[in-house]
Amino acid sequence: MPARFNITLCDGPSCIHKRSKEIVLRIEEELKKHALTDKVGINLSGCLGMCDKGPVMIINPGYAIYGSFTEEDVPEIIQQHILKKKPVVRFIVDEDHLYNRFFRVFGDVNFFGKQMRIALRNCGIIDPENIDDYISLRGYEALARVLTDMSPAKVIAEIKKSGLRGRGGAGFPTGIKWELTAKEKSDEKYVICNADEGDPGAFMDRSAIEGDPHTIVEGMVIAGFAIGASRGIVYIRAEYPLAVKRIKKAIAEARESGFLGENILGSGFNFEIEVRLGAGAFVCGEETALMLSIEGHRGMPRPRPPFPSVSGLFGKPTLINNVETWANIPVIILDGASWFSSLGTEKSKGTKVFALAGKVKNTGLVEVPMGTTLRQIIYDIGGGIPGDKQFKAVQTGGPSGGCLSEEYLDTKIDYESLAKAGSIMGSGGMIVIDEDSCMVNIAKFFLEFTQNESCGKCTPCREGTKRMLEILIRITEGKGTEKDIDKLQRLGNMIKKASLCGLGQSAPNPVLSTIKNFRAEYEEHVHNKRCRAGVCQHLLVYEVTDKCVGCAACKKACPADAVSGSPKAKHHIDINKCIKCGVCFKVCKFNAIRKS
Amino acid sequence: MITIFINDKPYQVEPEQTIMQAADRLGFHIPRLCYHPKLSIEGACRVCIVEVVGMRNYVASCAYPVSEGMKIYTNTEEIRRARRDIVELILDNHPEDCHTCERDGNCELQRLAFAMGIRKRHFEGEKKHYEKDLSSASVIRDPNKCILCGRCVRICSEIQKVNALGYAHRGFKTVVMPAYNMPFKDSVCTTCGQCINVCPTSAFIEKNFTQELFQKLGDKSLIKVAQIAPSVRAAIGEAFALEPGRQLEKELTAALRKLGFDYVFDTQFSADLTIMEEASEFLERFQGKGKLPMITSCSSAWMKCLEQFYPDLIDNVSTCKSPMSMASALIKTYFAKKIKADPKKILSVACMCCTAKKYEALRPELMVDGMQATDMVITTRELAWMIKSAGIDLLHIKGEEFDHPLGYSSGAGTIFGVTGGVMEAAIRTAYELYTGETLLDIEIQDIRGLKGIKEGKLIIDGKEIRVAVAHGLGNANEILSAIRTDPERYHFVEIMGCPGGCIGGGGQPYAGSNSMPLDEECLMKRAEALYGLDRNKTIRRSHENPDVQRLYKEFLGRPLGAVSHKLLHTHYSPKEPRGIVPAELTVK
Amino acid sequence: MSTPLEIIRKKRAEAINRIISKGYLSSKRVYVGMATCEIAAGSIEVMEVFQEAIRSGLSDVYLSQKGCAGRCNLEPTVEVVEEGKIPLKYGLVTKEKAKAIIERHLKKGEVIKEWLIK
Repeated sequence: MPARFNITLCDGPSCIHKRSKEIVLRIEEELKKHALTDKVGINLSGCLGMCDKGPVMIINPGYAIYGSFTEEDVPEIIQQHILKKKPVVRFIVDEDHLYNRFFRVFGDVNFFGKQMRIALRNCGIIDPENIDDYISLRGYEALARVLTDMSPAKVIAEIKKSGLRGRGGAGFPTGIKWELTAKEKSDEKYVICNADEGDPGAFMDRSAIEGDPHTIVEGMVIAGFAIGASRGIVYIRAEYPLAVKRIKKAIAEARESGFLGENILGSGFNFEIEVRLGAGAFVCGEETALMLSIEGHRGMPRPRPPFPSVSGLFGKPTLINNVETWANIPVIILDGASWFSSLGTEKSKGTKVFALAGKVKNTGLVEVPMGTTLRQIIYDIGGGIPGDKQFKAVQTGGPSGGCLSEEYLDTKIDYESLAKAGSIMGSGGMIVIDEDSCMVNIAKFFLEFTQNESCGKCTPCREGTKRMLEILIRITEGKGTEKDIDKLQRLGNMIKKASLCGLGQSAPNPVLSTIKNFRAEYEEHVHNKRCRAGVCQHLLVYEVTDKCVGCAACKKACPADAVSGSPKAKHHIDINKCIKCGVCFKVCKFNAIRKS
Repeated sequence: MITIFINDKPYQVEPEQTIMQAADRLGFHIPRLCYHPKLSIEGACRVCIVEVVGMRNYVASCAYPVSEGMKIYTNTEEIRRARRDIVELILDNHPEDCHTCERDGNCELQRLAFAMGIRKRHFEGEKKHYEKDLSSASVIRDPNKCILCGRCVRICSEIQKVNALGYAHRGFKTVVMPAYNMPFKDSVCTTCGQCINVCPTSAFIEKNFTQELFQKLGDKSLIKVAQIAPSVRAAIGEAFALEPGRQLEKELTAALRKLGFDYVFDTQFSADLTIMEEASEFLERFQGKGKLPMITSCSSAWMKCLEQFYPDLIDNVSTCKSPMSMASALIKTYFAKKIKADPKKILSVACMCCTAKKYEALRPELMVDGMQATDMVITTRELAWMIKSAGIDLLHIKGEEFDHPLGYSSGAGTIFGVTGGVMEAAIRTAYELYTGETLLDIEIQDIRGLKGIKEGKLIIDGKEIRVAVAHGLGNANEILSAIRTDPERYHFVEIMGCPGGCIGGGGQPYAGSNSMPLDEECLMKRAEALYGLDRNKTIRRSHENPDVQRLYKEFLGRPLGAVSHKLLHTHYSPKEPRGIVPAELTVK
Repeated sequence: MSTPLEIIRKKRAEAINRIISKGYLSSKRVYVGMATCEIAAGSIEVMEVFQEAIRSGLSDVYLSQKGCAGRCNLEPTVEVVEEGKIPLKYGLVTKEKAKAIIERHLKKGEVIKEWLIK
């Protein structure tokens, strides 16, 4: 028998009171009896925090947590679990997810130690294509509990109490959304999972579905029960083929195992889920546009009210939540709203997943409790800026987020504080920017994206962002004026307040926040025609240095005839003729061209 | 009732309405652009934004409901500036060739820009540039003028249910176009022209023949003949700043002669003729020869719609040509013979309330002896422009009578212009032809008015005849679907392509500065103008029109006879709606 | 009639048994990251190396795929878990490294420290 078993027994005061010392003796005795002493290790641990279920003991492999048993039960557990490899279900207690996670991902402690994984609790741990893996980690137990002894009202009360807020960006209280949808009377209601993740650089939803699709399914079925819906739809981007495959497989497996379909787990409750693919429009992540897209129309947001909870998909009451929100639901049911709401800040509970990218050593997907500071994420988990460069800004919330400067690094992350700082939580993009980046150019980059992805319906977003972009291009080309900065602010503030949907309402954020936090850079571009990061091509000045050997390579390559000089003598660039294309810099074999 | 505050003053208003509706009733006209009372709420232009205390962002008043204690500000410095900037943004991407634009002086955007006080420009930049689509016989599409309010898209899908238009591309490149950007003529567009009526600018406009017509009117070798549709006289006054509802029949006749027409005929005469043929056709079908229900065929947009979307119902549709095409056929045969003229030297011009008639004129099925029967169709709008351009004082002109032999009409021919009118006229005649008795109550109220679908019953000789009337292709769709499932439901159905019938045609004058296109009050006044003409006539039944009787005696023989068959009837054939699948993808 | 909770407990026991019957209790468990990001970084090749090794006789190893754990810049990742020990994660695993992990770590028990994610 190659496997070695490990028994970890809680040695906390409460368990001692419940005779854990005696139990250890009993275990040793039992192991001796079966000649298992050298194959099974016994450890004692500090309090495992499950005092009400004491005595508590964990047997690995199997990750079985036994509780509320007596010495008399020990022979059975040893015989069944260790000899027959069948855990004794009767004594298995509802293990705490955090505890479970801790054991599983331990080993990469620098990265994971400072995180807290709830939504991503199973990601990177289980085989996402095997429902058994999910079930073995208490998968679908939350659903079973809901169907066994919770009323819809009680489920909603629990979600409300947890303080969970929509993880898609706006942060609307999830429980209230559920309650509003439940309140509506209708022959049909829908539950939608918004997996149309479109932010450039964001991949939280993709990873969550690819790593743990069943948690989404479970969350949706619970919601269906709570609001009185029988149909669910996962709206997912077609650009995520693997995630599509895995969610479809999960749905099929769940149906086979009786977690979907008719009479779920013998409860009489029916629920079906289907998958709909998005065609890649960023704006389809906006809920009203998403629903129009499902209906077969062009995805364009419509004014609210009516809200989807009243009139959503096909005019029926519809509950729509984002992937990460769904992933939290089973945990809240299993571990309780009180526990969940003990995490995070006053108004933002639980954790948040961020896609950490840009100029940071450890790029990656991180999940941290609300209230963690930007500094902790960027430096402690992300490992700081590579190459000893200077931190310049961090952009949160995807392309519509704001760029925060160093003074905001100790901002505790939650919906309110990020908004106060001039950015947004968004769906969780986090891009770190170092001194090599030009903030005007960064703002231009993000605006280019949102401007392209504007659905074109409302005037401020369609026309206004275009004009803002033109002004930014002007500034980066050295043609800006002082008035241009004011115009950006005037347009930006109007677009924020007048646009139809969240896309337009947040599109000016990168521009407004960079003007607020990095105004000096804008002014340098405008007044001194200078880009301190050396990014804005048109503002560069090319010069020939003394390293020039007069090979004339640059002279030949220059498309504007701006280089002059005799062979074998130092050449000269006429800055009035130079179009700043950079060809001379590229062709020079002697490093003799300097750009500044 | 609830209390709301507008600009700090309390008002009692009904709940369950939008801020804009409440404000309208209180006398605050919040500026607006994409909003249209007959269409769904788009919330796209953002011109109607207001400030609401407690809301983070501005609120689109067209979409947001009032609530108890709501504090609304419609005219603060901040909101004025935001609105101004929004309208400027629209102008920045608009050609601004106002002086050479068809809608100069009549443009909602122009009015709005003036009202917003845009005197300086702050944000000018790149403008869009697209080719105009000139392919359609009736409607020109000019995306450069389009401000993406979406009214055309909505009227085409919601009121007409044709769905010829949609949005393509994203962001700044968004453009309204037919599917796959097919040429308009190949799209499912029925040429009804309602997009023109609701467009606030001139992104949609009729194909204009005024210059060409002026040229032809100066050609002395041609005999210039005009005909006027009933609804033109009921609406053209609006283009001369008259209140809706004043008919200008005699003034128009005089004006057309002053424009250079040699003969001015009345389409109402051929409407009477249509009734003779159509009532007879109905009675034949009713007696077992042919399919029931019979559906009318006067509306050209409905004809195109039929061939594209309801080919299975072609046999149900009357074979009668429209009154315009009947008149044109007679002008080039009967009339030409009468005045001993070469029909090829006759220029037959139809003044219509309709854009689809431009398309109808080109239908090969309507050729007479190898000639196009109607040489040119101009809309009420084009005619009004020509009258103004020629310096004719329409409002103070001395009225004149129509020419004979195609100028005298009964009251039944007049009411053709209103939804339900064809049916009413047909009943007046069919009843009397069938029973030989006089129908006493000839004003059939059941099928009058602007309800989308109207139904009625009458007993002829002890037999019940069930009739239905639909106006607007969306309403037509409902009746036609009902017929598909229950062919026995009706005997006789009238369908008009435009809301209100011809009085609401796609070629009628633009709404004035204080009303909206499709305004029911305006449509009712136009209708009343025609009903008034009917009431004041001594002859109100088509079969009693002495000129019609003479025409049969001298030329046609009898209704549904051989000559009628050749000149007054036509046929339809199914047309695969192209423009749904791009040409290169269709299976050959 | 069983309650849903009773049903799920039973299902869970069955699921655990099925997992165990697939060799979960082998002395070493190997998890290869197989999310889109991992696959893009080359994890399919890495997975194939392990599968091939098992086909050609590597025993007492339980091989499974897993989703993305979030270490973007270090993918593909391979995790080796031995009961009672801290799980070990290898980053930037290539075909060659995978072969070495099989030969040195899985067969001989030698942890290749320089490739570990620390």
